[in-house]
Amino acid sequence: MSDCERLSDRMPEVALLRAAWSAEEAAHLASCADCRAEWDLVLAAHRLEASGPSVDPATMAAAVQHRLASERMADRRGRWGWALGGLAAAAALALVVGRGPESRQGTAPAVAVTADPLVPLPELEGLETAQLDTLLQALDGPLAGTSAPDSTTADDDVDAELEQLLATWEG
Amino acid sequence: MSASPVLETPSDHELASAYRAGDERAAAELVRRHAPALGRYLYSSGAAADEVEDLVQEALFRAFRRLDGWRGEASFRSWLFAIGGNVLRDEFRRRKGRHVLSLEDRDLPDRADPEADLAATETEEGLRRGIASLPRLQREVFLLRTQQGSGYTEIAAALGTTAGAARVHYHHAVKRLKELVR
Repeated sequence: MSDCERLSDRMPEVALLRAAWSAEEAAHLASCADCRAEWDLVLAAHRLEASGPSVDPATMAAAVQHRLASERMADRRGRWGWALGGLAAAAALALVVGRGPESRQGTAPAVAVTADPLVPLPELEGLETAQLDTLLQALDGPLAGTSAPDSTTADDDVDAELEQLLATWEG
Repeated sequence: MSASPVLETPSDHELASAYRAGDERAAAELVRRHAPALGRYLYSSGAAADEVEDLVQEALFRAFRRLDGWRGEASFRSWLFAIGGNVLRDEFRRRKGRHVLSLEDRDLPDRADPEADLAATETEEGLRRGIASLPRLQREVFLLRTQQGSGYTEIAAALGTTAGAARVHYHHAVKRLKELVR
């Protein structure tokens, strides 16, 4: 590293009064026009820094804090907006799902009608007409033994109670 | 006689950590420490005197918003000045190339030797014009080096370059400014 480079590296420190020239450096500076030009530049930059407009730190601190607080509030509002939107969407979904059986009651027959011809029953294909008639009669007839016994007895109970009630009214 | 307790001044690192933890006063202290120097830096870089406050505020706002990006490789001030450089560049772009530099309202210093003062002021203004005309990295390296006394390693960390490249930028800036200010 040349004397000029060494001096150049030291210039900011000396300009900021963090260091001082040694006798040797001062002698070089006095004899080297290039280094003197650079030194003048560094000193001018230092003066320029000192001559800049003043910024009041307290006012600036208040202004920056106000902006940061405003942004935080806006963020929070945004987050709540999203959260409320999400809740509304979830509520709407829950309503649709909750009303599902009702809506299914309305739509189920249509689905059944269109679905029936598509159900393959290969067993029926092999039956004679007479056999099919017998089968249909069996299906149309009373489903003895297959209906729910509880519902029948429940109906009988209700009839008996009604008759009893009418008898008490009629005297 | 009991010794009075020594009140240690918290470092920028400690203040930044405190702010991250929710201490608003830490942010205020960081602003108080660095805002005036940031204003002078931006003015030296070519910002108009009447826009310095707005630019400082914007730079500080951006800095606190992304404080997690400061990992301590460079000093807080160098990192903040680099953000200030971005703000100034954005302002320059917003004006679509119209230069920010203004040389208005500069009062001449009231010193003993008016002629020497005038010459010094003219040199400073010439230098400010010259600095503003430099490529961005040359300008920022030159100012961080001459006004803050930052080393090349720290400048490199703040500006996202290498120490060797920062040295080269500095010498290019000096060479160019010598020609411009002569």
